[in-house]
Amino acid sequence: MEIEKALNGTELTLKIIGRLDTVTAPELEACLKESLDGVANLVMDFAALDYISSAGLRVILQAQKTMNKQGDMLIKNVNETINEVFEMTGFVDILNIE
Amino acid sequence: MELTLALKNNIEEINRLHSFIEEVGEAFALPMKTVMNLNLVLEEAVTNVIMYAYPKEEHEYIHLTAKEQEGKLIFILTDSGKAFDPTQAPDADITLSADDRQIGGLGIFLIRKIMNEVKYERIDGKNVLTLEKEL
Repeated sequence: MEIEKALNGTELTLKIIGRLDTVTAPELEACLKESLDGVANLVMDFAALDYISSAGLRVILQAQKTMNKQGDMLIKNVNETINEVFEMTGFVDILNIE
Repeated sequence: MELTLALKNNIEEINRLHSFIEEVGEAFALPMKTVMNLNLVLEEAVTNVIMYAYPKEEHEYIHLTAKEQEGKLIFILTDSGKAFDPTQAPDADITLSADDRQIGGLGIFLIRKIMNEVKYERIDGKNVLTLEKEL
C-alpha cells in the first residue's frame, strides 16, 4: 500500500493505493494520527484501492469518528468491490461517499 | 482436489494467505467476488490466530486446507495455540451511527455474513475452525 498526501489549506487529501488489510492498516492509522491536526476536510481517494478488510474498515471508522468532532470526511472514487464491502458492513450509511 | 498452506505466526504471512486464496479461486474457478469475500473471511480468521492463539510465539505454524465437497467449498484452519473460539466473539452492530459504533467486531460479522457455516472445535489440543461456503 502507498499513501499520497496533499494538504491544501485545511483540506487534506489522502490517496490510498493498493491493499488496505491487516498488514497495511497500521500505516494508514499512523499517517492519520500525525496528519489530522487542524484539518477541517479530510478527503480519502479510493480510486486506486483494490481491497479492504476489517482491519482497514476499523481505521476508516476511527477517522470518521475523529472528523465528526472537527469537520467533514469524504470518500471518493469507490470502486464496485470496495463498495460491496461498505454495503455488507453498513458503512454506506455512516460514511459520506461521493 | 485439496489445497494446503502452512503459515508462520507472523502478520506479514497474510500476504501469502492472499496469494493462496487467489490459487484456490483459480483451482475451483470461483467468481472474482467470491474470491474477494474469501480473502476477507480468511484474513480475519488467520489474523485472530496470530493475535490471540499464538501471542508472541514466532515459529508456530497455522495450517489451512481448502477442498470441495458436495457442492461446498470447505476451509479448515488448524493451529496448536491456546484455545480461542472466534465464534463466541460478539458481532458488530451495523445499524449504529459512526459515533456509537465500536471499533471491533466487524471481522466475525463478515465471517458469519459471507460463509454458510462456521464451526469451532478444540480437538487434541488444537483449534479447528471449519468454514463452509455453498458454491
